[in-house]
Amino acid sequence: MNNDEERTQSGVVELPSPTAWPMVLALGLALICTGMVTNVVIGLLGLLLFVWGGIGWFLQVLPHEQHVEVPVLNEEIEIASSRRLKARLPASDMHRKILPIETYHISAGIKGGIAGGIAMIVPAALFGLIRYHSIWYAANLLAAGGFVSWIGASDAFLSQFHMQGLFAAIAIHGLTSLLVGLLYGAVLPMYPRYPIVTAGLVAPLLFTGILHSALGVISPILNQRIDWFWFVISQVAFGLVCGFVVNLHTRVRTAQFRALPFAVRAGIHSDFAARNDPAEKADKKDQAQ
Amino acid sequence: MATQTPVPAVLDQTTSTACRPMWLEVLHDWVTTVDHKKIGLMYIGYALLFLVVAGFEALLIRIQLAIPNNTFVSPQVFNRLFTMHGSTMIFFVAMPVLFGFGNYLIPLMIGARDMAFPRLNAFSFWVSAFGGLLLYFSYFGGSGLYGAGSAPDVGWWAYAPLTAKAFSPGHSTDYWTLAILLSGVGTIGTALNIVTTVICMRCPGMKLSRMPLLVWIYLVMSLMAFVTISPLTAAQIMLMLDRYLGSHLFDTQAGGSAVLWMHFFWIFGHPEVYILILPAFAFANEIIPVFSRKAIFGYPAMVAATVGIGFVSLSVWAHHMFTVGMGAGANTFFVFSSMTIAVPTGIKIFNWLATIWGGKIRFTTSMMFAIGFLFQFLIAGLTGIMLAVAPFDWQLGNSYFVVAHFHYVIVGGILFMLFSAFYYWYPKMTGRMLSEKLGKWHFWLFLIGFHLTFDIMHIPGILGMPRRIYTYEADRGWMIWNLLVSSGAMIQTVGVLLFVYNLVRSYFKGAVAGADPWDGWTLEWSTTSPPPSYNFAVIPSVGSRRPLWDLKHPEDPDNNYE
Ligand SMILES: [Cu+2]
Repeated sequence: MNNDEERTQSGVVELPSPTAWPMVLALGLALICTGMVTNVVIGLLGLLLFVWGGIGWFLQVLPHEQHVEVPVLNEEIEIASSRRLKARLPASDMHRKILPIETYHISAGIKGGIAGGIAMIVPAALFGLIRYHSIWYAANLLAAGGFVSWIGASDAFLSQFHMQGLFAAIAIHGLTSLLVGLLYGAVLPMYPRYPIVTAGLVAPLLFTGILHSALGVISPILNQRIDWFWFVISQVAFGLVCGFVVNLHTRVRTAQFRALPFAVRAGIHSDFAARNDPAEKADKKDQAQ
Repeated sequence: MATQTPVPAVLDQTTSTACRPMWLEVLHDWVTTVDHKKIGLMYIGYALLFLVVAGFEALLIRIQLAIPNNTFVSPQVFNRLFTMHGSTMIFFVAMPVLFGFGNYLIPLMIGARDMAFPRLNAFSFWVSAFGGLLLYFSYFGGSGLYGAGSAPDVGWWAYAPLTAKAFSPGHSTDYWTLAILLSGVGTIGTALNIVTTVICMRCPGMKLSRMPLLVWIYLVMSLMAFVTISPLTAAQIMLMLDRYLGSHLFDTQAGGSAVLWMHFFWIFGHPEVYILILPAFAFANEIIPVFSRKAIFGYPAMVAATVGIGFVSLSVWAHHMFTVGMGAGANTFFVFSSMTIAVPTGIKIFNWLATIWGGKIRFTTSMMFAIGFLFQFLIAGLTGIMLAVAPFDWQLGNSYFVVAHFHYVIVGGILFMLFSAFYYWYPKMTGRMLSEKLGKWHFWLFLIGFHLTFDIMHIPGILGMPRRIYTYEADRGWMIWNLLVSSGAMIQTVGVLLFVYNLVRSYFKGAVAGADPWDGWTLEWSTTSPPPSYNFAVIPSVGSRRPLWDLKHPEDPDNNYE
């Protein structure tokens, strides 16, 4: 930058000097190709130009890159808007969405998903133990959605231990838990008032409702044998643990936070109304233009 | 906050000399240039030239198809016409014009004096240009200098086994292979240049999160070009091995695989669609905010969507192959991956709408083309989702419905946004404004012609008209639709001719533009029009995504909000 300014003050900018060698090299390459569809002589001419152009290009940059000095004449360009800012009619706050001024880091959602996924195993295993006297039943049932050959499997078969069933169940369960955990991390800051109700009750019930209507398409075998009572229990277990873990994490401030007045950011003055500020301010800015 | 340096303008004293340079000097100037702006302009000029040529080919195709049992051209000529039309439009119009705009704008937008590799830049342009010339030389020397000339006639996909020596004797297919190979070398060179420039040459304060979205999108597009041009080049080399040295890579009868060629071609071919449409998105991201007088809505989401499109588009190629019989598993995978790409694309459309929403819209010709792009791209995306459903595709694959769909993407999406970009940046490139009055005529004529041609083209497709058909019987009921489609093509031609006339006339007689005719926000508007060879006398430094907004409104700079 210093170097740059010095040169500008001396009225000169250094630029790479013009050269035809790249064009010669390209022409050589093109003629080599043309030689393949016409006559080998043209190809040989191309090869010659190719080598010649390559050497010429090398000499342009080695041992020293060649420059030309272009004279500069400094004159200030005025950078100004042709438009004036206008005051805007006040709009009702009711129409404005409240953007969260704080949110979780993305890792909070991932950790919550892992914790919730582990917690969910307990009611699932309990269900298998009580109903079928096997802790593997739930895992196999989940995995059966992924294996075409398991569609007609008997309860006895599903109660046994199967290595591939376990792996498939871990994959399906792990991926879903991670995704839902991420969703929790993103959504919880938007409903800051009663996080435990959102996480532990509303979200599991909503999710159960969606699955109840869609499961026949996603996994028919699971749909036939699922026990919705135990399913809700395991969902609530997931939601409570995942929401708890996510809530443990400190929040990070979003861009909206920086737009708040200093008094609010410093913690001197804070109330819910202050949250309207960033939206309102951004709004004014939009309209001003 | 980084300091804002006022940007001094520059007067080039050499132009004031009285005598005009000889044409030979001008030619020498352009041939030896390594200036990114001149190379960009050469890319654009050469693409416009081929646009007229390939457009003329399209017109001949439409004349042939306008009425049943037509013999306006021979079947052989017809095959060459659609092959050359497709290959030219993709490799020698769309790619160079988009690289031309990228070359011109990227260094200006990131406050740099040139691309990272100025000589490589010149080489890439020239090698693509010579590739185009080689392709058209086939009209004179298609079977070698000894035989009569003939152009490639195997379609722009050049499916095996049609390209085998037995079915395509002479050299016509080799011309196609070699020309595409050369254009691929140029593409890789420019892509490498763009990636390096964006990563290494940004001015002080230009963090990745402050880069104009156009630059972001060109970065993603160039990275995609690396991944996709390579298989295409590999396939072309394999095809040459088959044709020159007698290998049997794509020869099914000798144990090769014709489907292998399809995979190679489409793993290039589908991402290529996104390589072409992403720059259109890039133009929209710069133009729509300026003419809505609002900052772009959802900048981070736009970046994420662009990167998302880049990734997903690499895993959808076989939706071009549903009719091949890949099996239920592969079909299902490609149905779902193709539909996934609607998500990031949808995000972009919503963000553009949200940018326009509540803005103070200025209906310049540029903005009108951008709005046309928005609606037409949406429709093109919807027919795309229809075709992504494998059973639907079994019905309409290889019909005119497909032709209508992808022309809707390329003409209704990419070309409309390109016209918008021309009206927006022409003042920067030449120092003169394009005529708005001619521009409005161009817009309305082209809009009417476009919809007449490509809306109606879906119908003969649904009625069963196959693509690439030479002619058809009168009793099929396709005639009225084809006649309408062809007449729309005529109206589009008039529109394009008006545009070309506007380009030429405004260069000499247009109103003087000044540095910043649109009240813009990105760095290219802070230097003179046209910019001096060194772009900026002092390298600027920026404090937000809209550095010129900050300079114009120091009382309310953007970095308070970003
Ligand atoms: Cu595709």
